[in-house]
Amino acid sequence: MGTEKIPSSVVQFALADRLINIGRANSFWPLTFGIACCAIEMMATGCARFDMSRFGAEVFRPSARQSDVMIVAGTITKKMMPGIKTLYDQMPEPKWVMALGNCAISGGPFAFEGQYSIILGADQFLPVDVYIPGCPPRPEALLQGIIELEHLVSDWKRWKNPEAA
Amino acid sequence: MEHQFTAFLYQENILWIAAFTLGGLAFALGPIAIVYLFMPLKTRQINNKALQFIECGMDPIGDSWIRYGVVFYLYALIFLAFDVDVLFLFPVAVAYNDAMFASSIRDFIEIVLFIGILSLAIVYAWIKGVFKWERKKFLRR
Repeated sequence: MGTEKIPSSVVQFALADRLINIGRANSFWPLTFGIACCAIEMMATGCARFDMSRFGAEVFRPSARQSDVMIVAGTITKKMMPGIKTLYDQMPEPKWVMALGNCAISGGPFAFEGQYSIILGADQFLPVDVYIPGCPPRPEALLQGIIELEHLVSDWKRWKNPEAA
Repeated sequence: MEHQFTAFLYQENILWIAAFTLGGLAFALGPIAIVYLFMPLKTRQINNKALQFIECGMDPIGDSWIRYGVVFYLYALIFLAFDVDVLFLFPVAVAYNDAMFASSIRDFIEIVLFIGILSLAIVYAWIKGVFKWERKKFLRR
């Protein structure tokens, strides 16, 4: 599993890294990769009504080498798992993984005895950063997950915390 | 005044050229070096397949370095044969009306020889059956 250590660069400037991270948080490039019905919600999130591009995350890339967020959108079959692993390998650093929907979190409705074809959760083989529950999650939930990932990537906040104010 | 050693006269200019060359090299290679220092040197791996060419996640079936049945190259070569003929005959056609060449048997024979040698390529292709429009048979492996 690729969780052991996040590779870093030779030269690091804290201030520049903070600035670059704000840029990264405001322009996620997700991988165009839907593996089950949650992908429909992902498409809806990308389209005009919910409009992911308000949060800068609308640039769905068809190549793993150009994207930095993998949205595991749906049921992971054992047949699909090697492909997902390869795509994760091909993504350049820094990269993040979102598990969208119950299937990608824990197997969802497929977690029953005698089930032979489904991987029970993306975190069985991927370092998942954000879990988005729902079956499937509403597009608002995916947007919320993207905002949570923004908070994870950078300490910059899109909105002030209303409870702290 | 005659300069015997002109190579030593332009030393300043050589310095300028060297400085600009080095500056250009620095501008070309500098960003690559800076990016190398700032980029993450590797990516996290699960399957160690970061270098797989295909970007859909699936393992490719077979190699793309296979032999194709290329038939069209014959026509490219034939085009080349005719093309060279025409290329070298244009200057002849322009100059041949001149009185100096028009009355000379020797020039005429030279041109005939020249075209004859060039035409050997076409004759060769003709004998090989290139001009017959047939499907080429090749072994598919």
